[in-house]
Amino acid sequence: MTLQIESLRTRGMRDLLPREMARFRRVERAFAETLSAWGYEEIRTPTLEQLHLFTSAGALSPQLLDKVYSFLDWDGWSGERVVLRPDATIPAVRVYNERMAGSIAKLFYITNIFRFAQGDEPREQWQCGAEVIGETFPRGDIELIAAGRGVLRRLGFQETTVRLSHTGVIRALLERAGFAEEDQAEQYDRVLDHDMSVIHEIERRVPELQASMHLLTDVKGSGPGYLANLRAAFAATSPRLVQALDELEQIAAGVAALGCPLIIDLTMVRDFEYYTGPVFRFELAGGWEAGGGGRYDALVRSGGSATPACGFALSLDMLSERLEADASADATAVIEVAPADTGPACLGLALAVALELQEKGFCAELVGSRRAAAARWRLTVDPAGGSARYVMRLLPDGEPASGASMDDLIGVLGRARC
Amino acid sequence: MLKLALPGGDLRPQAAVALAAAGLASEGYAHGSRSLSVPVDGRADMIARVFREKDIPVQIALGAYHAGICGDPWVREFLSRYPDEGLVRLRPLEFGGTRLVLAAPAAVVAQLGPLAEWPRWSGIRIATEFPRIAERLATGMRLARPRIVALWGAAEAYPPDDAEACLLALSDDEPLRRHGLVLLATLSQAPAWLIASRQALAAHDLSPLIGPLLALPAAAGDWAPAPVPRVRRFAETTPLPRPPRTAVRLALPDGHAQPHTYHALQDARIAFEGYEEQSAVRRPRSGIPGLEVKVIRPQDMASQVATGAFDLAVTGRDWLLDHRYAFPSSPVREVADLHRSRYALAAVVSEDVPATTIAEAAAWWRRNGRATIRVAAEYPHLADDFARSAQLGRYTVMPLAGASEGFVPEDAEVLIEGTETGRSLIANRLKVLETLSISTNCLIAREDWPLRPGATLIGDLIEQLRRVPAPV
Repeated sequence: MTLQIESLRTRGMRDLLPREMARFRRVERAFAETLSAWGYEEIRTPTLEQLHLFTSAGALSPQLLDKVYSFLDWDGWSGERVVLRPDATIPAVRVYNERMAGSIAKLFYITNIFRFAQGDEPREQWQCGAEVIGETFPRGDIELIAAGRGVLRRLGFQETTVRLSHTGVIRALLERAGFAEEDQAEQYDRVLDHDMSVIHEIERRVPELQASMHLLTDVKGSGPGYLANLRAAFAATSPRLVQALDELEQIAAGVAALGCPLIIDLTMVRDFEYYTGPVFRFELAGGWEAGGGGRYDALVRSGGSATPACGFALSLDMLSERLEADASADATAVIEVAPADTGPACLGLALAVALELQEKGFCAELVGSRRAAAARWRLTVDPAGGSARYVMRLLPDGEPASGASMDDLIGVLGRARC
Repeated sequence: MLKLALPGGDLRPQAAVALAAAGLASEGYAHGSRSLSVPVDGRADMIARVFREKDIPVQIALGAYHAGICGDPWVREFLSRYPDEGLVRLRPLEFGGTRLVLAAPAAVVAQLGPLAEWPRWSGIRIATEFPRIAERLATGMRLARPRIVALWGAAEAYPPDDAEACLLALSDDEPLRRHGLVLLATLSQAPAWLIASRQALAAHDLSPLIGPLLALPAAAGDWAPAPVPRVRRFAETTPLPRPPRTAVRLALPDGHAQPHTYHALQDARIAFEGYEEQSAVRRPRSGIPGLEVKVIRPQDMASQVATGAFDLAVTGRDWLLDHRYAFPSSPVREVADLHRSRYALAAVVSEDVPATTIAEAAAWWRRNGRATIRVAAEYPHLADDFARSAQLGRYTVMPLAGASEGFVPEDAEVLIEGTETGRSLIANRLKVLETLSISTNCLIAREDWPLRPGATLIGDLIEQLRRVPAPV
């Protein structure tokens, strides 16, 4: 009978075991190295933030706000609530406003966010994200897409497709359909909630647009030709919509220059109210969404004016799960340094030998681990052992080889390295 | 044993009639028995317990009770926070209709504009007993930095001085008229509900209990909440201007604390017109120049003083302690002991528990298979601190709005309870294992009161009330 031990792990939270952490760190490294190469600098923001940062109009949608972890903290006697950050862009914007305003900032972060999810779905998610804040359109958007794609390629995901859209298209159509200003925001929130009946409502209100709407909803473009067709269909409809198409064309040209497969899908929405312009999504082979982002020109505000910005995030959880197993990440050899006895002289020698082996680039331990390794050695040390001061054996049943010096040891190990 | 949670208060008579119609009459419940545990007539397989309405959804979601009858506002409040956990609405009943409304004084509407314009302002305060519903409303309306003033009661008394608006549960419009409030939006309208535990419905045969209740006529109508009021969006918002206070403000309690406070004021030779031993208006007239008086619930006083809405307040030390356990950095302090309404705050257990200390009791419960120790209290933060300090291990705190008699041992292992003479404990076969504190009524203020406007008057009042002798 198997004894069932109740897990005390909080629902929706995840432990990352060594092999999973190894993949996790690979994604982190790839992201940090790629973004650094593009000139981005890392920041880290607190896990707890003021709730009101996320509840103001144009930040997170009500649907997302329904899922945040908010509470009164120890200083909450005023009624002000705090929240486990449900999004990483807004805290980055707060830092920019408080510490970097007035300059162009290129920032990246590796962070967790918290959102309630049903059942055992994860409620803590890890993201790698980047923001470029300042007047940079379209270079900033294209740079971010290039950086994101670079991360994915570095991780071995060679087939990455970029899916492009523009939030201005839906907003322009809502305006053209005659929705009152206060209703436009509500309708847009429904679209964010993937309620596409809004499209049908637009068609109903503006019947002359029905045929053109099919170009939007039923056709996914692959390049500038599609955008030209949209421009022809909607030029008379809304200057705002045409402007959105112009912006999209600039981004599409940049993606094309990367040699990256491109899909223009104007029904794609990102989950955040704060996006105001082009938005994009990275898709792996098989359609897996690795992450995405877009332009948010109204979120960064100080002194009554807005600073344009753009950003994206990749799902660290999703990427690390899909990494190919990397045997090269396992230790080539692990050496357990075992003292011949528990006396202080033996323990001291074992410790010194382990440190010296580590300095020479080997994995050496006093306590045998479960770490995956191509080879495991046991090195028994005995200060009184004379010519057998060091006895080395490849586990599980290799022949022992003895030596009196560290050079002898290295000779036995060969060129094995961690 | 099937367990039914029933409401006290205004809903009780109609709920009793409904139970009788369903063949589940309880004479004790129908005739207003003071006992909170009441048998269902002729049914040895069922027991009913009377709760404050706000506790019923919690008890059912926790699985402590299988089904219950509850007014719609408290069901909505619970489901606003926990939409998919624990609780199922089974049937709208033909009584107990209530509206949840947002209301404000006409002067506030004149200042802020129509409701659609309110997102222009940052810092709007909404007073309410239903903070979760209010938060969702504020979020849906995209109010900038709203402040939800969570209260135990009397929300309608807060505007315009202590809130811009209030979110109320109404069975009629009388409170609006009495307090000069304008209806801004109706958020929902629904009757009382038969509700049940999701877990219990899934795993146990509740049919002897819910079957007859499901045969009751269902109230006809669409009980879905109204959509969030349509509002304008504003890229920039303006902090709501508030005129500086010109008077010192004193809060006095209503309810059980009122007679004790009245007598303490008498001993201090302080009198306010409209604040009597057994009756009070919300804004008694103060004969002291520069002093305003308002009557609010004692449970809300510490928060109101902490935020600076009031300079002084008379409340029970128990509520001050609960506030300070919740918010250790709160600036509120006791400045005068008024010596009345004295009782011990104690950790109380069943007399059948063979222990003389909490540690012994915890060990005994664990040995007897209780994996999670349930601590029930009207003071959830005080109870939480107690449970942590006593190192109870795995515990849950079950908030109660009152009506705690008979809760232990069936529904909780420990009750944090005020006990005056101990007679009630003995009658309910309970014993005290640890006394946490002694509570009396007291005067509270912010610790920085000497630096605040009106400090001289505040100081004088503190001195006067410090000289109040203990009653003989």
